[in-house]
Amino acid sequence: MAEVTYREALRRALDEELDRDERVFLMGEEIGRFEGSYKVTAGLWAKYGPKRVRETPISEEGFVGAGIGAAMLGLRPVVEIMTINFILVAQDMVVNHAAKIRYMFGGKVGVPMVIRTPGGAGAQLTAQHSQSLEVWFAHVPGLKVVAPSNPRDAYGLLKTAIRDDDPVLFVENLVLYNVTGSIPEPDEDFTVPLGSAHVAREGTDLTIVAHSYTVRRALAVADRLAQSGFEAEVVDLRSLRPLDVDTVVESVRKTNRVLIAEEGWATFGVGAELAARIGRACFDDLDAPPERVGGAEVPMPYSKPLELAALVLEDKLEAAARSLLAECGLAGAGAGRD
Amino acid sequence: MAVEVPMPRLSDTMEQGTVARWVKQEGDRVVAGDVIAEIDTDKATMELTAYEDGVLLKILVGEGESADLGTPIALIGAEDEEVPETAARGNGPAQTAPQEDQPGDAGAPEAGGGEPAPSEPGEPPAPEARSAVGDGLRASPIARRMAAEGGLDLRELAGKGSGPDGRIVKVDVERALGQEGGPGAAAVEPGTTERAASPGQPPSAEEEIIEATPMLRAVARRMSESKATVPHFYLDAEIDMGRALELREELNRALADDGEKISVNDLIVRAAALALVENPKFHRSWHDGTFVLHKSAHVGIAVALDDGLIVPVLRNVEQKSVREIARESRDLAERARAGKLKQTEIEGGTFTISNLGMYGIPSFSAVVNLPEPGILAVGAAVKRAVVRDDAVLIRPIMAVTLSVDHRATSGAEGARLLGSIQRLLEQPVLLLA
Repeated sequence: MAEVTYREALRRALDEELDRDERVFLMGEEIGRFEGSYKVTAGLWAKYGPKRVRETPISEEGFVGAGIGAAMLGLRPVVEIMTINFILVAQDMVVNHAAKIRYMFGGKVGVPMVIRTPGGAGAQLTAQHSQSLEVWFAHVPGLKVVAPSNPRDAYGLLKTAIRDDDPVLFVENLVLYNVTGSIPEPDEDFTVPLGSAHVAREGTDLTIVAHSYTVRRALAVADRLAQSGFEAEVVDLRSLRPLDVDTVVESVRKTNRVLIAEEGWATFGVGAELAARIGRACFDDLDAPPERVGGAEVPMPYSKPLELAALVLEDKLEAAARSLLAECGLAGAGAGRD
Repeated sequence: MAVEVPMPRLSDTMEQGTVARWVKQEGDRVVAGDVIAEIDTDKATMELTAYEDGVLLKILVGEGESADLGTPIALIGAEDEEVPETAARGNGPAQTAPQEDQPGDAGAPEAGGGEPAPSEPGEPPAPEARSAVGDGLRASPIARRMAAEGGLDLRELAGKGSGPDGRIVKVDVERALGQEGGPGAAAVEPGTTERAASPGQPPSAEEEIIEATPMLRAVARRMSESKATVPHFYLDAEIDMGRALELREELNRALADDGEKISVNDLIVRAAALALVENPKFHRSWHDGTFVLHKSAHVGIAVALDDGLIVPVLRNVEQKSVREIARESRDLAERARAGKLKQTEIEGGTFTISNLGMYGIPSFSAVVNLPEPGILAVGAAVKRAVVRDDAVLIRPIMAVTLSVDHRATSGAEGARLLGSIQRLLEQPVLLLA
């Protein structure tokens, strides 16, 4: 096991896959000489050369489309979009082409492409650069969407995504890149399956479901709750599509209470989807309606105090958890932190 | 005009009853005196007979649902008679509490909670008499489920729950069922600020608390009820199983080609059934000052499950051959382990046999399985030195202990029953007669 950053875990997965399969190539803005805005492709241009680590102009629609074409013709492109905010100009390529080609070509051709891109907020990058838009893509049949929360899952899921025969949106997170964790030594066989959630912490009183960076916040909140005697179970979704409802349901059946947390806006979000699924599968197991918490429903403010107020920080998550416990007669839960 | 069938008082102490089974279904013709349903009272399962001739028009309280005494549970009337739209549970006598403290959660339309029945103008609307969705009670789904499993009437907690607007939540049910300190946050009392450590909480990583399954909760409840309310006494006997074992071997040799096998337990079941029918003063159940006389022996066999216990019942055993008993009990035991028994197959027993012989236990005593009068605890047949005609012989001896409900019968009757069982097993050819 090696202790590495999330960034390094991604870099190793790319390196291993480039080495393993010559059909794999990288494409994106500044990913070569400059090694990427977040340095995920560090050293790869030098090692594999400009043919397999291709720099592109600022033209997301163009190079995502080029990636789709390459994938249809048998290559395995891994396209980097500098942040998820810039994928919007390539939306037609992603939603109308990548997602639909296998269907519209009668299954005769697929798009084995990965789009890597970080979402998230918290660095005063303001409204246009501080978004979590992954649910937009999780809405679309034909796409797969993953959002790992730690280096190990990032390493395993990126390899799985590259080997998958369909388009995968691989959502990273700006604030996660420097987070460290252990990953296996280089191992071709280590992968993490798509569509498989992970119980990151076991508990009995409350289930908190989250993905990406919010999982770390949920784990911190679970520790705080434990100091008051409440054991929260934290389910890390890891994939949004396919969505591992079974793991969530199993947890809720055990705890009878569920809070779904996401960094993006809650309206029409992951919590909305899961609340519906849980309401159906766990109706007789619930002690209170499923609760959800998301970012403030405003464009992300630039002002630091306002940005902090808009984010789903631990205090906000903890208050939501305690409020849910209080609704279930757990008087000690309180409405928030003392 | 349709007549209401009210939930009857079937025991002195019952306040409500649960419909265990509808013997008659909607549309069935009934004659006064017909058994139309089986009702679980606080004590036992009782038969409900019809007082009118007619057709069972409508069932108002379904199987597994409870109703207060006097609450209509069915309608009997003439064939093709129209069932009043509002003939729903709760329109009956006022044993049910008025709907109060339940804002914004009126019953479902079929609950009839909103409008008085046109057939009984002036009757105030009454709520539905059970703890289910649509009854106007505010309770979380898990609270309802746990209450149903634990036999708790949620109306006792109506409006007093810990949730918003008095919603009854899981912790309220746990408290009411005395499960405080279990998993989840059961131990928090209102007003405390943090969950206190309680005896039920694991003090260290070396212990773990898990929820009991509904089956184990039912076992716990029934066993507690039996030990707390039934005056048990115990009779021991030692049965020489030499000839029974020989008979079994002979039977098994003869049946080998058919792939059938007779167990010692099958012989014991048969012996017990014949002995029960021979001893009618034993074969009866106590019901609040009355005896229910059992004319046919329905023998339950305790089956251990992976983590649980269930007692499937063989019916009319005195009319069945040893082969039939063997086939049926194997089938029941297999389906018991697969969790595929029907409710009707685990109820209505008049006697139970619990056999731990296969575990090598020499003898033990068992808890009476209410409302049955007794239970036979069977140990292993082990070779022992016995004195017979002043000679010491080696014989396979099986120790049995009969536990008896002293309200149902007496020590002498128990001794007679045990004597009959002993005679049948020691002269096992009688089992074939």
